[in-house]
Amino acid sequence: MTIRTRLTLWYAGILTGSLLVIGLGTYREIDERLRHEHRWEPEEHAIAETSEMVFQVGLPAVVLGLLGGWWLTRRALAPVAGLTEAIKKIHERNLRQPLPRTGNGDELDRLTEVFNGMLARLDDSFNRTREFTLHASHELKTPLTILCGETETALRDESLSVAARERAASLLDELRRLARIVDGLTLLAKADAGQVVLKLEPLPFNELVRDNFADAQILAEPQGVQVELAVCEEVSVRGDRHRLRQLLLNLADNAVKYNQPQGRVTMSLRRAGDMAEFTIANSGAGIPPEMLPRVFDRFFRGDAAHSQAVDGCGLGLSIVEWIVTAHHGSVKIESVPSKITTVTVRLPAGPDKTKAA
Amino acid sequence: MRVLVVEDEKKTASFVRKALQAEGFAVDVCHNGDDALAAVRTTPFDGIVLDIMLPGRDGLSVLHQLRDRKNTTPVLLLSARGEVNERVEGLNAGADDYLPKPFELAELVARVRALTRRSGENKSTVLRVADLALDTITHQAQRGGTAIELTAREYRLLEFLMRSPGRLCGRMMILEKVWDYDFDPGTNLVDVYIRRLREKIDASFEPKLLHTVRGTGYLLKDPP
Repeated sequence: MTIRTRLTLWYAGILTGSLLVIGLGTYREIDERLRHEHRWEPEEHAIAETSEMVFQVGLPAVVLGLLGGWWLTRRALAPVAGLTEAIKKIHERNLRQPLPRTGNGDELDRLTEVFNGMLARLDDSFNRTREFTLHASHELKTPLTILCGETETALRDESLSVAARERAASLLDELRRLARIVDGLTLLAKADAGQVVLKLEPLPFNELVRDNFADAQILAEPQGVQVELAVCEEVSVRGDRHRLRQLLLNLADNAVKYNQPQGRVTMSLRRAGDMAEFTIANSGAGIPPEMLPRVFDRFFRGDAAHSQAVDGCGLGLSIVEWIVTAHHGSVKIESVPSKITTVTVRLPAGPDKTKAA
Repeated sequence: MRVLVVEDEKKTASFVRKALQAEGFAVDVCHNGDDALAAVRTTPFDGIVLDIMLPGRDGLSVLHQLRDRKNTTPVLLLSARGEVNERVEGLNAGADDYLPKPFELAELVARVRALTRRSGENKSTVLRVADLALDTITHQAQRGGTAIELTAREYRLLEFLMRSPGRLCGRMMILEKVWDYDFDPGTNLVDVYIRRLREKIDASFEPKLLHTVRGTGYLLKDPP
C-alpha cells in the first residue's frame, strides 16, 4: 500500500470519527431542546433531525475533506515520485551527477541534499578503486618486464640443460599470461576512467566479420570444430577498427575454446532495422542460467572454464562488453546448457546503401 | 651497427644490452634523458631504444629534442603505460616503432633489427629463400618448381617471413604486421597459421626452412 493511500485512509478515519463526535453532540443538543419544548417522543425526533444534519451537511463535508486530503497528500508527495525516478537512473558511472534540488529548504530538499552528499562520497571511493587498479597494473609492468626478459635470456643460454630450458619456457608461458591479464586490466581501468579514446570511422562491418570468420576457422581446426558463416549481409558501422576486430576475435576465440571436439560454431551478420546484428553460436557445455548474468563480470570463470582447464585471462567478455558499450551498442548472451550458447551483439548501423541505391 | 639503449631500470637495461650484443650490435646504455641527448651529440647511432618513463627529462621530450635538432636516427619507444593511445602519441612524436612493456626480448631484438635495416630492405619483387620463391606481384609461391596454393593471410605471413630471412620474428610483431592487430589476442592464431604454412612449404620438401624458436618466435632460413 502506498503512503498516499495509507494517509488518505487514516484521514478518512479521522474525519469519520469527528463526524461521529459532531453527530453525537448535535443529537444531545437537539434531544435536550426537544425535551424542554415538547416532552413527547423526543428521542425519535432527535435521531431524525440529527441524521438529517449529519447526512446533509456532515457527509458532504467528509467527502470534501477526503478529496482535499487526497489532493494534499499528492501535492506533498509529488517530489518523492520525482526523486524515485531520478534515483532509479543512478548507476556506478553517473554518480557525479547530483539529483535535482527544489532549493526551497523543506524536508525533501534536505533529504536530496544529504543523498547528493552520499553520492559524492560513493563517487570518490569508486574513483579511488579505479585509480588503484590503474596504478597497480602500471606498477606490475616493470617487474614483469624484468621477469620476462631474464627468463628469455635463460631460455637462450646454450649452456643450460634441456630440462632447465624447458622449465624456463614453461615459466615464460605463464609470465605471458600474467602480462595479458595486466594488459586487460589496464585497458579496462583506463576505459573506466574514460581515458581510452576510440578512433571512430565508418567501417564495412561485413568485411571485418569475414576476416574474423577466416581466423576462426583456423583457430577451430586443431579441435575439429566446424565454423560456418551462415549470413553476412552488407552493413557498415561507425567504429574503431582495432577494437571491433578485438571484439570479434574475443567472441570467436571463446566460441571455439568453450566448444566440444567436432562441435560447431555458427556466425551471422544481419541488418535489423537501424542496427547491425552479429550473432555467434557454439555447441558445448554452455552456461547454467544462474551464471548467465555474471559472465561479463571481470575474472568471472564458469564451471565449464574450470573443468575444461581452458586457458584464458578471465577478462575477454568484460572487454567485449566495454567495446560494445563504447560503440553505443548492446550485447546479450543466451545458453541452453549442453546444447547451444549464443552471443548477440547489436551496434548502430550506418546508412543502408542497398536501399539508397 | 651501434645502438643506444635509454632505460633507467638497471636490470631491464642490462638484459636488453646483453640480448642486442648477442645479435652482434654494439650497445651503449644511458639511464636518463640528458645523458642520452649528450651521447647522441657525440656519437652517431644506427638506432635508439628509448624508454618513455625516465627520471627528469622523459622519453617523449628526448625524442622531441632529437627531431628538433633534425636528428633522424630511428627510435623504438618503450612504454610501461602500454596502451593503444600512447602508441599513436609516440609515433606522432616522431618515433619509428613502439613496444609496450612487458615486451618479449626476441620481439625487441627483431624490431631493432628491422629499424636499423629499414633503408636497405629487400625491394626485389620475387623473394627467394633456398628453392622457395614468392612473387610479390602475382602472389604465387613455388618450391622446387611445384606451385603452392596460399590463402591471402598465408601469403602475407610468408611474405613477412621471407622479407627478413634468418631473422627471428616475434609473435607480437607477426600479429602487428600480418594481422594488423594492435593488441595481444591471447590466442594461438599465429602458431596455427605457422603450422599450416609449414605443411604447405615444408612438409613434402627438404631441407626444412620454417623454424620455431621455443617461447620466442619463428624464423625462415636457408640451412647452411
